[in-house]
This record gives sequence, C-alpha cells and structure tokens, in this order.
Amino acid sequence: MNIFMHELKVYRKSTIIWSLSLIAIMIIFMSMYSSFAEDAKGFMKIVENYPEAIRNAIGFNQENFFTILGFYSFPLSFITLCAAIQAMNLGTSIVNKEVREKTADFLLTKPVTRTKILTAKLLAALVSIVITNIFYFAAASFVALQVKTDDFSLKIFFLLSLTIFFIQLIFLSLGIIISVIVQKIKSVLTVSLATVFAFYFVGMFSDTTGDEVKRYFSPFKYFDTAYIIKHSSYETTFLIAGAVIIILAIAASYVVYSKKDIHAV
Amino acid sequence: MNVIEIKNLTKTYGKARGISDVSFNVEQGEIFGFIGPNGAGKSTTIRTLLSLIYPTSGSATIFGKDCIQFAPEIKKEIGYLPSEIFYYDNMKVKDLLKYSASFYKKDCSKRMKELAKMMDLDLNKKIDDLSLGNKKKVGIVQGLLHEPKLIILDEPTSGLDPLMQQKFFELLEEENKKGATILFSSHILSEVQRLCNRVAIIKEGKIVTVEKISTLQENNYKKFKIETNSTLDKDYFQIDGVNKLDVHNNVTSFLFKGNINTVMKKIADIEIANLWIEEPDLEEIFIHYYEKEV
Repeated sequence: MNIFMHELKVYRKSTIIWSLSLIAIMIIFMSMYSSFAEDAKGFMKIVENYPEAIRNAIGFNQENFFTILGFYSFPLSFITLCAAIQAMNLGTSIVNKEVREKTADFLLTKPVTRTKILTAKLLAALVSIVITNIFYFAAASFVALQVKTDDFSLKIFFLLSLTIFFIQLIFLSLGIIISVIVQKIKSVLTVSLATVFAFYFVGMFSDTTGDEVKRYFSPFKYFDTAYIIKHSSYETTFLIAGAVIIILAIAASYVVYSKKDIHAV
Repeated sequence: MNVIEIKNLTKTYGKARGISDVSFNVEQGEIFGFIGPNGAGKSTTIRTLLSLIYPTSGSATIFGKDCIQFAPEIKKEIGYLPSEIFYYDNMKVKDLLKYSASFYKKDCSKRMKELAKMMDLDLNKKIDDLSLGNKKKVGIVQGLLHEPKLIILDEPTSGLDPLMQQKFFELLEEENKKGATILFSSHILSEVQRLCNRVAIIKEGKIVTVEKISTLQENNYKKFKIETNSTLDKDYFQIDGVNKLDVHNNVTSFLFKGNINTVMKKIADIEIANLWIEEPDLEEIFIHYYEKEV
C-alpha cells in the first residue's frame, strides 16, 4: 500500500499534464465541428478527389464523417496516439525508473517481495491511466454536447472514447515488459516514442491496403471507429487479441522481474 | 550462533568474474570486516545476501533462514547501507525516511529523530539539495531507523568527513553493544582495524582468509628493524619465516612469522646498534596476502 501511494504521488503531476493535453487536443478539433458541418458539401467534394488509400489512412469515411461521431473519430486517432505515449511512458518507467535513479537498492532491500512491488507499481500506473480517462471523457462528452448539431448516441461516444483506455492498457503492458527485459534504458521517452510511432505507422500502412490480417500488427487498428459507430460494439476477435497481449506481457514481466539480478550501478 | 552462514556461494556473470566458492560465517553480536580491493567480489557477495542478485550455486542463510527463499521476512531485521546512494530526488529527507519506515511494522519516528540529531541531518531539506556526505547521512539514518538486528554496510564511509566518520563508528559500536551484528565491507583497512573483531579477506572472487583481527596482527607477523654498527651479510637473516627481507646500509628490516626465539638468537649473535620490533598494521598484512598469491 505504501509503495502504491508513493507511486501515485510521483505520477500526480504527469497525470494532470497528460489529461489536460489530451483534453486540449480534443477541444481544438471539436471546436471546428460546427463550421465543418456547415461546409460539409464543399468539403466532401475535395476529399472525394483524394485517392482511396489516403482517405483510409486519415480515417475518413464518407457515410458518417459529418455526423459528430464520425467527425470525432478523426481527432480520436491523434488523441489515442498521444495517450499511447503516456501509457508507454508509465509502463517503461515502472521498473526502469528505479534502475535509472538508482533507487532499486533502496526498495528491494525492504521487507517486500518483488511481486508486491510490481503489483503496487502496476496498480498505481493503472490508476493514473483511469484518472486520465475519466477526466478526458467528462471533458469530451461535455464539449460534444456543446458543439452538436444533431442528437447523437452517448453510448457510442463512450465506446469510441473508451478505445483510448484499451489502447493505453496494451501500451502500458508493452512498456512494462520492455522495462523489465532491457537492463537499463537511458531515455524512457525515446523508447516509448519510437515504439508507439512504429506501431502507429504500421497501422497506417495496414489501412492503405485494407488487409484484415495486417490489422493485428498494430494495436491502433484494433478498434475500427466505423465498425463501432455502425454496430455500437467492438470487434470481438480484436478485443481478444488485445487482452492476450496484455495478459502475456504482464505475466511475463512478473516472471522476469522476480528472477532478475539487480546490479549495482 | 551464526547470524550469517555462507556456503560455497558462487556467482558468475558470463565471462566476467563474480565470486566463486565463498564460504564464511558471521557470529551473533560481532562486527565482521569484509575487505578486499575494488572488484574483488565484496558487493557481489553482499547483493546475493540481500537477494538483489541470485547465486549461480551455493547458498547463504541469515538468522538460519535461506536468504533467497525467506528474503522478505529476513529483511525486516536487516539494515542496509549501499556504497552509492541515490534517493528519489523530489522528496524531502523527512518524507523519504517516513517512506522507508513505512515498510517496517513498528513506530520508527523516535529513533529516526534521534539518529538525525546524532548525525546532524536537516530533515526538512530536499534530497536534491544535499551534498554527497549529507546524502550518505540520509542513507545511514534510513538503514538504522528500524533498529535492525543485522546491519550490512557496503563501503559506507566514502563521502563522510572524518568527524562524521567518527560519529558513525561510535553509532555502529553503540548498535553493536545493543546486540546488532554488523557486516562491514571496505577496502580501507584502518576502518576495519578500528572497528572489527574478525575479518574475511577476499581477492579475485575467492576468500583468501578468515581470521580474528588480533590473530592477524599479533600472532602471525612481527616487523623487525635492526640497525647494526657494521654492514651485515645480506643473507644473514635469510631463515625460515622471514619475509620481505630488506638490507639497506646498516639497516635490516623484515617480517617474521614463526618461533620468535630463532630470530632472537640470530640477533644475539651480532653486534646491534638499535632494534625495533613492531606489530605490522593491517595494511602490511593485507598486502602480504596479496603478494603471496601473485
């Protein structure tokens, strides 16, 4: 419990900053919606001239682009990208921070098991992510209700926003496994940016070809906004894929961490 | 009763040397020195005891319990002070010490204040702003605030000024009187000589010897220096038990181990101007152990 509280305190500032940043991106995009909706027809023509590959890549689909939900899908992909970086940062620093700040000796010579340490840190990171999502969703639904031109399903809006959380979970667990396996990471941000962007571009690439199987290679493509809007649910196979990644990564992290040698620095 | 029992402990890191076949015991209530040059394996041994690293083979027990299997339980009664100290920067000294105390299920606040006062440590400063020596003090208080039964120190004195070092030693002696066992690793021999009852010497990952400090000093070696009126034959003192024989003009010096009468007879046979017989300090013994193996 004490480790958990300590970690939460450490994350407090970054949680607030990330929440505000995500909200800011959301507000900037959503504030354009009303003027966007007005110029709908003209805009439609321009975009129709783009090649299909590009239209897919930027997440544009004609049927619902001008409903508020369709429009929201557009900034959502950027917001998810940023949120993934936050989660990856958290995950990577869980174990690595102790190594880098050389506090591992302090913590690991206390009367606690490594499993307990990892659990406490994991929970603290999870809470930080949950809080970010609560703030974000509260702000996002408030803004959406302000700028809407027609009524929309708040449930679908929630499902869309919740994809941020799921993707964050995936990147959090990827971050943890990396931080446990790699002996010493010099810069957490470099590692997390590289990983997140790599997956993001893999995702964009899989979009342009429209190949279903390729979607499995990028967590960013596990949640197809058009599908969610149409069916107001997620695609089960991709939910399972996500869950498998999370469970495997976290289970492996526990195993590796409890057997790992902590070297003097 | 043995507080620490190390049996054939081996740790290898790929090709690099770790420790091999390290065995020694630390008895209840003693201050045990663990000396050797940098990189000899002192930290590796200590980190294995604390289950920070896992042994390749062999085992160690602390308070009669396996140090890996029962690690969390054992650590309740261990205070550890690492050689290099870096604590969560954004914390105040007080908060860090409270965090440290929160791991032990007892009230440590009184002891914490006592120790801080003794070590002259400002509890309200941020750890960022502390000098190396002051960070070290935080480490000392942190390691002792839960009144551990076993104190493990890994080269603890670097960064402390002589005055603080003195206070720190007094503190350790006080803890020792109260019943704490101390394992003190160092490469500075005078520290060990000043504080410890027994000592293990480690070299290149292997224990060279485990002995009482007093045995090392008194029974084993005597340092002879003889001044004669005329130049002495170079090989006059070349007898069994003589080491490091050095003849310089009229002054002959050597280390001697063995029956002292044999040397005294040799000395009685010659005309001497002056004679010194001294206990060698630990440094000389230590170097002797090292050279012997080369």
